[in-house]
Amino acid sequence: MRTLSRRQFLRTSGTGLGLGLLTAGGLAGCATTVGPKTGRRVVVIGGGWGGATAAKYVRLADPSIEVVLLEPNRQFVSCPFSNLVLSGVRSIESITMDYSGLRGHGVKILHQEATAIEPDKKRVRVGDDAIEYDRLIVSPGVDFQWEQVEGLPAAKDTVLHAWKAGPQTVALARQLQSMPDGGVVVMSVPLMAYRCPPGPYERACQIAWYLKTSKPRSKLLVLDANKNIVSKTGLFQAAFKNYPNNLEYRPASRVEKIDTSRREVTTEIGDKVKYDVINLIPPQRAGAIAVQADLVGADKRWCEVNHVTYESVKQKGIHVIGDATIGLPVPKSGTVANSMGKICASAVVHLLNGKEPPQMPPVNVCYSWVSDKEAMAVINSYRIAQGKVVMIEQKLTPGASVAFAQNAEGWARSIWSDILG
Amino acid sequence: MTNTIRLFVGSAGLLLLLVVSGIAVAGPLDPGYAKAFSCSACHGFDGASRSDTVPVLAGMQPWYLKKTIQDYASGKRPAAEMEPYAKMVLELGVDDVAAYFGRQKKQPSPVRLDPAAVERGKAAARQCLICHGQDGKGDTAKGIPDLTGQPPGYLQNQILLFKADRRSPGDDVVKAAKAIMKTIPDAMLGDLAAYYSSLR
Repeated sequence: MRTLSRRQFLRTSGTGLGLGLLTAGGLAGCATTVGPKTGRRVVVIGGGWGGATAAKYVRLADPSIEVVLLEPNRQFVSCPFSNLVLSGVRSIESITMDYSGLRGHGVKILHQEATAIEPDKKRVRVGDDAIEYDRLIVSPGVDFQWEQVEGLPAAKDTVLHAWKAGPQTVALARQLQSMPDGGVVVMSVPLMAYRCPPGPYERACQIAWYLKTSKPRSKLLVLDANKNIVSKTGLFQAAFKNYPNNLEYRPASRVEKIDTSRREVTTEIGDKVKYDVINLIPPQRAGAIAVQADLVGADKRWCEVNHVTYESVKQKGIHVIGDATIGLPVPKSGTVANSMGKICASAVVHLLNGKEPPQMPPVNVCYSWVSDKEAMAVINSYRIAQGKVVMIEQKLTPGASVAFAQNAEGWARSIWSDILG
Repeated sequence: MTNTIRLFVGSAGLLLLLVVSGIAVAGPLDPGYAKAFSCSACHGFDGASRSDTVPVLAGMQPWYLKKTIQDYASGKRPAAEMEPYAKMVLELGVDDVAAYFGRQKKQPSPVRLDPAAVERGKAAARQCLICHGQDGKGDTAKGIPDLTGQPPGYLQNQILLFKADRRSPGDDVVKAAKAIMKTIPDAMLGDLAAYYSSLR
């Protein structure tokens, strides 16, 4: 893995709010410069599965449109497959990629955080600077609702979620590795809706597989706020049976409180559970920028969008894609975010060219690894009827197998190339 | 700027080639362009699969892609991972999607092959030549598909499905082909697949 030590820098135009020149150091010292808007410009906030795909596909469909992508991270770390890092089946390097492919498509990438959106002025604030846009695509991912768990806001730096792949993934893997045999790992699952519905159960299988093979006297206790496994229910129930001594699943056990000094969590029914390693996945909402820009609904959590264009129902000219959206019958998955990125990019290009956007439905496939070698999947296809996305069919693989795991590997390589290549 | 270009070409030369060829033939004006969005998640950008077990669609003969989608949708070719999408593609317009991938430059599978396996596979392929041709490109008029450049894992899996009669069960058209495949030991299938994957 290449380390990117060159520090990014920001140059303001000097007088008040800089509408002038935003510059950030490029990978090889070739600075990316975003000046005042001269032609048509699309700004994309967030370079994850949705945003990176959208940025690329706008450029592919109409290279005359300038695309500026705002993404604080210099590298793309895949959330799908990151549970395999916890079990040691994969390395973090194997799921880490850079953004050079997008630069090759002419996407201008600023490794800066969008601090605010000003819809009336059609511009995005980046600290004291601002970038104007004709259309804005927001792919903000999720942020955590720390305040929903008593004691968590004060402990959020030490109680790991590992629900955004990166340093926390590596840190949780290390905690598991250094735990003595005979220890108890506690993992909490938030109520729906959250990023990647099958993700916690895949993680349970991966941690249990690791314990079974490396620390057989240890146990993982899954405290699920939901009444049952929320995705691939029967398949996961079958998979859990492979870990009778190392995995215990407790439904309807929402974690209400954490006490790090006692290494103890309390559930909604009053159960107190001691842990050696805790993985608390907090409740989630759309990324902070979506809340700031008032793209979220009355629940202040998720963003409702037009099912054809992904334009926000609340703010004209602003499109929202990925896990932050609500109202479509789709899971918050990487495949869906990638799908939305392509469809939204096409819609934005059509709209900027004064044309009617095509009515394209998204797709979904979610692979889940239940051991080091076996995976299974849920598959969804959709159509658009009366302007709304509706499901055509959902299928599950008949079980978990090595063959489906091979397809999962292939899916990852292909979709990563679709997003970043 | 030179540094940037050098870096890009150096670290992502293969991707650059794919990208350039993609731009040359793809386009939002192609009626299949947006309809094929769904496929690239698994079959790769513009159908250039990076997978060992998921077929390359870039440059696939449109008649074969159409037949495949119809077979997946009807259950004649049972596959949990394809059936829902096949139904969706039929709704969107399979002809547009098939024509779109047919227009893409063929991108042979990037899966690395063992030269010794390819050599062994060449010898084992004698029975296949009669129908699939010396060059492995099949015969459109007879409905025999092009096998060249497909991922080896995909080719091997398909032969296993044919042998077990789990692909096109009861179909008279492939009855003779299945009989031949059943004479080939499973241990030899990897070599055979490597050989056809190596052909261009």
